[in-house]
Order: sequence, then structure tokens, then C-alpha cells
Amino acid sequence: MAGVVGIDLGTTNSLVAVLDGNTPRILPDPDTGERLLPSAVTFLPTGEVLVGRRARAMATERPLDTILSVKRFMGLGFEHVSDADRRRYRFASATEGPVRFDMHGRAVTPPEVSAHVLRELKRWAEAALGEDVTKAVLTVPAYFNDTQRQATRDAGRLAGLEVLRLVNEPTAAALAYGLDQDDDTTIAVYDLGGGTFDVSILKLRRGVFEVLATGGDTRLGGDDLDVVLAERLLDEIPESWREHVQIRAQILAMAEQVKCALSDRERTKVEVALPEGGVVDVTVTRADFDVLAGPIVERTSAPCRQALKDAGLQIGDVAVVVAVGGATRVPLVRTHVERLFGRPPLTELNPDEVVALGAGIQAGILTGKKGDMLLLDVVPLSLGIETMGDVFSRVIDRNSTIPVGVKENFTNPVDDQRGIEIHVLQGERELASDNRSLAHFTIPIDPTPAGVARLEVMFLVDANGILSVTARDLRSGRERTVEVKPSYGLSDTELERMLEESIDHAEEDVRQRQIREARVDCEAIVNASRKQLRAHAELLGEDEAARIGAAMDAVQAAAAGEDYVRMRDAYDALADVSEPFARRIMDRALTESVEGRSLDDL
Amino acid sequence: MAVSMPRQDGMVDDGECWRCSARVGVSPACGTCEAPQALPSGADHFTTLGLTRSLVVDLADLERRYHEASRLVHPDRHQIGEPTAARISIETSAAVNRAYRTLRDPLARGRYWLELHGQSLAENNNRVPPTLAALVFDVQEQLEDLRGRSENADLRRQVEAARTAVAADFEGRLGELGECYDRWQSDATPPVLAELKERLSEIAYLRTLLADVDEGLER
Repeated sequence: MAGVVGIDLGTTNSLVAVLDGNTPRILPDPDTGERLLPSAVTFLPTGEVLVGRRARAMATERPLDTILSVKRFMGLGFEHVSDADRRRYRFASATEGPVRFDMHGRAVTPPEVSAHVLRELKRWAEAALGEDVTKAVLTVPAYFNDTQRQATRDAGRLAGLEVLRLVNEPTAAALAYGLDQDDDTTIAVYDLGGGTFDVSILKLRRGVFEVLATGGDTRLGGDDLDVVLAERLLDEIPESWREHVQIRAQILAMAEQVKCALSDRERTKVEVALPEGGVVDVTVTRADFDVLAGPIVERTSAPCRQALKDAGLQIGDVAVVVAVGGATRVPLVRTHVERLFGRPPLTELNPDEVVALGAGIQAGILTGKKGDMLLLDVVPLSLGIETMGDVFSRVIDRNSTIPVGVKENFTNPVDDQRGIEIHVLQGERELASDNRSLAHFTIPIDPTPAGVARLEVMFLVDANGILSVTARDLRSGRERTVEVKPSYGLSDTELERMLEESIDHAEEDVRQRQIREARVDCEAIVNASRKQLRAHAELLGEDEAARIGAAMDAVQAAAAGEDYVRMRDAYDALADVSEPFARRIMDRALTESVEGRSLDDL
Repeated sequence: MAVSMPRQDGMVDDGECWRCSARVGVSPACGTCEAPQALPSGADHFTTLGLTRSLVVDLADLERRYHEASRLVHPDRHQIGEPTAARISIETSAAVNRAYRTLRDPLARGRYWLELHGQSLAENNNRVPPTLAALVFDVQEQLEDLRGRSENADLRRQVEAARTAVAADFEGRLGELGECYDRWQSDATPPVLAELKERLSEIAYLRTLLADVDEGLER
């Protein structure tokens, strides 16, 4: 059985892996060799769509058209979107169903955006494996609710992938680390990703990974550390510039660099260039950062303690601690993990890659290549129904091992009712209205006096953590159809329409993408060349301006056509002809900086 | 809006393997071809994991049986292959999970065992078992104080001490319940049954009380 891959669909970056023999391996971008695909998508006014590095580069130029962390919107309704997000993105006006981005008049749902990222990873995998890839295991935060999981599965289907299993990210990480562990141990996984936090406690015995408890926060991540650092940097610049959109974008990007720099060093300096000229120097020490980050990191404590308690364990029972997610490179986070679980976390595997590697292993388990391993996961949040008086009546407890099924019997409270409606919600609160609405299920019944109908309703959460509801009329013994109206998900008809559209355009899409990517690169190199010709004319040799100009014309001519091979060739030719010129510019910049320093020293 | 009703379980019946037609009985998987089998509705948790109905369960053995059954019926084993096996595996795996969850917990196991024998605990958990009345009264009063006032370190220490005491009582009665289970094996008489029910009620009550105390301390 070939062609089943494991995909980590991350907030910031996404990766694809496959089980190769007995060990998983990451499949890189066939063109550049990069292993991380930025989870960024840009919708250009022309209808073209950019994905990955190219889209991320567009974020400052076209912020409204570029979605940087679509994962934070998966499975949400418009009312769940924060004010900050409303300022950052342009949403289509919709009062019900999933949130939709307005992209030049077209309403685009989060699963459709994610599908662009998945299609690109599918292409990477197909290039690396030399065969079609149509089946995948996708990872989700353990704390994702039913709607968020369905949205992720919908994204897979829209990308032409049959999603064989959704696997929880911390569990996937435990699988990746578990390959090297003793066969009788207790593992805690602390997963601080870009936008989500998860903690899971697992028991490993006889090759069975049994999740005992999980907890988390789907609105807490490494991005929050960047935000507090950015606020600190903004405090250092003149007040008049603090609300400037470009400056804010620049400083947020710098904050991320500061965060990374402070993981290896005690202090770091950044220079914020102001649009009117002038530069503000800011030095940030690790101690400053620790003070800012402290409250955010502290928010991970309660879910960890709750998970331990739900697992019925004490800190001393945890034998192995695993840290996952880029944010766990931050020294303060590591110290915190050590304090929470009483031992330092394992970090042998790259925290950016470990979830994808685990997804690759799970793909192997499903295809029978890893018959010695089995994963028993849990449902992260309780499921229940709304009963009279806004009461949340629990049907399935959180941390139940999945699959889990519970049967409940219902009758009709009113004479001659045509159907019984069941409102299903997910959460831990007492009042139904405080929990997240999943869907309304309507089961048609034959008209009878009140209390006579007998319906047996099965609530079944499958191994993906996704709920289905089936019903049987106990008086006739017949199965009853259940009509589902999802609260914030895509309806079946809507998903089918999107699938038809995407299949119609699948082949066209591949060619169009290659054309548009080449075109974007062509425009970028022509613009860069033009700028340099203007700025450094004195460095040009005889005829050089003319030769570069001719090469630029050739690139522009190619980009106007539809032949992407011609575009690539023209691009390479321009890069070659302007290479000596570029080298001279670089040399001069270096000399100047050395001279500048010696002047200062005098 | 719907009204919930007490459930009515169906009948247990033996069957044949849907794949190889071997006689299966009540088992999550076929003993001959290992295909997952649909369990009859109302199949009991002991039978599902290959055990005879008993209050005394060897937990290590229970876990081993659970892992063995899961290896055969978990949907991960049937995601690729026969659609029938994939379909059946979900509900059967759910039944195996539920059986394990119920039997590994002495309280849930005791209640379930009583249910199988047509007996039940008084469902009204609000009635305080007489043996616990004094303890429960004290702890509830302290909790009220803790809830009613602003942060008070002395009061908190008192409640924490009370928690330790309740937890110790809980463990003690859990031990007594185990002894009761053992005794029932050789002495299945009404007095032992009455004592067993009393311990179960106390333990159920103490578990709720512990949860209340923890909630009070977390505020």
C-alpha cells in the first residue's frame, strides 16, 4: 500500500512525512529542498493564489489578501473572531455558518484556504515519492473540538486527499519519541505551537500508546510571545509612529527574530528604521523577555495540572517529558516545563518536525507497516445535549477513549410532533449556552400522542474525535435518518459543491500554479534589478546596463506569456548576466560598513 | 427539545462470523479469522473482555485483555481493507473501550455488577450515607466559608487538611470495598450484599465530595 503520508498542518508552518522502512522522514520541497512550508496563502485580485514562502513574503505588501495563520479560524463562526482579527483581515458578511474571508468579492472559508496549503504539500510528496498521493493522516491540536476537526478533514478532501485519520498533535509527538523508549513508561507531552497549546499524558505498554488525559488552549501559542515583545519594541519608538500599519508589521516580524535570538543569547539589539529617516536602537535582554513572557507561559500551568489530575497521576509518575513546537526553544518555556513535570524535557528531535514524523508513523500503523504499535486516544472535551432550561446534559465525558458510543432513549414531549430535535454541544460548562454549539440534529417521527414515540439515539465519536448521530425507532425497529445542521461547519451540500469545483479545476490548477509562481518570481527579479540599476549606476561596467536591460526585457516578455519554462529560463539568464554587478554592490556595502566602524573607533 | 428516557437493552444472542462463518458467540473478534464482530446489544462488559462475571478483577490481566482486544478491533487496524470490517470495528471498539473503563474502576464495576443482578444503589446521591454525616457536615461548612470570604490562608489550610482526611477515608473505604468483593466470592449472603452496597454508596459520595473540595480550592 503506497502513497499514504502524514501531514502536520500547522499554524505557522506545515510539513509532510512518510514512513520509510521503520523510520519516518520529512519530504522536502522538490524545487528548493525546504522542509517547512509556511502556512500562508495570498489571494491576488487576478484570481491567482500564492502559497508558502511567496505568500508569506506578500504579508506586508498585501496584508488583507494574505492569510498567515488560517488554522486559528478553522471551525469558527464569525462571532468567535476577535476585534484584532477583524482589523487584520477582511471578512465576508455572514450571520451564520463558518467564518468567511472576503477575497476580492469571493467568500472563502478556512478549509478552502487550508486546502491550498495541503495541495502544495501533496505536490511535494508526489515529487519525492514519484507516485500519486491520495491518502493522508492529518494532525490536529488535541484540544480541537468537533467542528474544528471536521473543518480540517474538509480541507483534506478539498485538496484531493482522503483523510484516513486525524491524529492529535501531542500524541503524534509521543509516537515519534516512543520509538526509542522503554516499553513500560508514562509520557507527558507539552506542545506549544504557533497558535495552540496542548498537553497530553500517555501510558506506553506493550506497544500500545494509551492517552490517559489531554488538555489545552486553542487560543494560546508562540505567536502571543511575539505580540508582547512587539509591544515592548513599539514603546521605544516615537508615539506618532506606533499606529502606523507598516511599522507595526515590521516590528512584529522583528519581535519574532528577537525571540529566536534570545533563545541562544543573553541580549540582542534591533534597529527600527522609521519611514521619515532615523533609526531607533533597542536592546532587549533575556531577563526583559522572561518578565514579558512569564504571564503567557504561566497560562499553560493549569491545563497541565488538570491533565495530570484527570489521568489520576502525580508529577513523580511521569517518566518521560517531551517538548514540542517551536516556542519550546525559548529557555523560559523549557524551565517552566521542567518545573511542571519535575524533569527536563527531551529535545532530541527537531520540535518543528516531531509532529509530522509522528503523523508519518501513524500512516504506517494504518497501512499495517507498524503492526506492533497501536494508538488509543481520547476525546478532549465533553459532549452533551441541551435539555429544558439551558441545561447542558453530558452524554460523553472528556478523556473517554475513542471510539466511544453512548445510547440515549428519547420520546416526544408534545402530541403529533413531526420530528425530535437534538442540539449537541461540546464543553465543560454547566449551562448549554456557555458551551460550543456543534449541530442541530433532527430525527423525523410518526405523529403519536405525547410520550408514545420511542427513539434510541446513538452518539458515536469515532477514532478521529468526530461525532456522528444515528437513530432507531424502537417501536418499529427501523433506522431513522438524521438531518444535520452544523452550527459553524460546512454543510454536506456546500462541501460537495466545493469538491466539484476543485475537481473541475484540478489539472488546470497545477499548470496555472506553475505559471503564476514563475510569473511572480519574474516580476520580483525585474523590480529588484531596476532598483539596483538606478541606485548603483556608477558601479556598472561598459555595455553592462544594456545587457542587463535586454535580459530584463526578455524576462518581461516571457512573463507576459503562458510558458512557464520560458519564464524560468529568462529568469536564470537575467540572474547570470547581473551577477557580477550584484557582487560589486555587495563588496561596496561591506567596505563601507568596515570604514564606518573604523571612523567610529577614531 | 427532547426528553431523555431510561434505556432498554436488547437481547443477547450468539452468532456466526460475518466473514468466515465460524461460530463466534459473544466476542469482539472471530477466534478463527480475527475479523471484528458486531457485539449484540446488551452484551455484558465481562463477556466482552472474555471474563466471567465477578466483583474481583485482576487489573493487570484486565489491561492485557483490553490491549489484545484493541489490537484486533481498533479502527486503525481496519481503516484500509474490507469496508465491513472498518464499519463494524468502530462500534465494537467503542464497546471494548467502555467495558474496560467500567471494569477497571472498582466503583463503576460494583455498580455495573449490581445492575447485572437486578439491583441498584439508591440513585439519589444527595442523601448522605449515615456513616459519613459528621465528616461531610464539617467539610461542607468549611467549603462554604472558603467560598463566602476573600482569600484566607488559614481557612485554605483547613480545607487542604480536610481534603487529605477525606482522601484517606476514601482510600480506606476503597480497601474495604475490595475486601467485600473478596468475601462475596465465598459468602454470597444478604448481609455481605448490604455491606457492599453501603461501601459503594459511601465511596460514590466521597468521590463527589473530593471533587467539590478540589473545585473550592481552585477558586
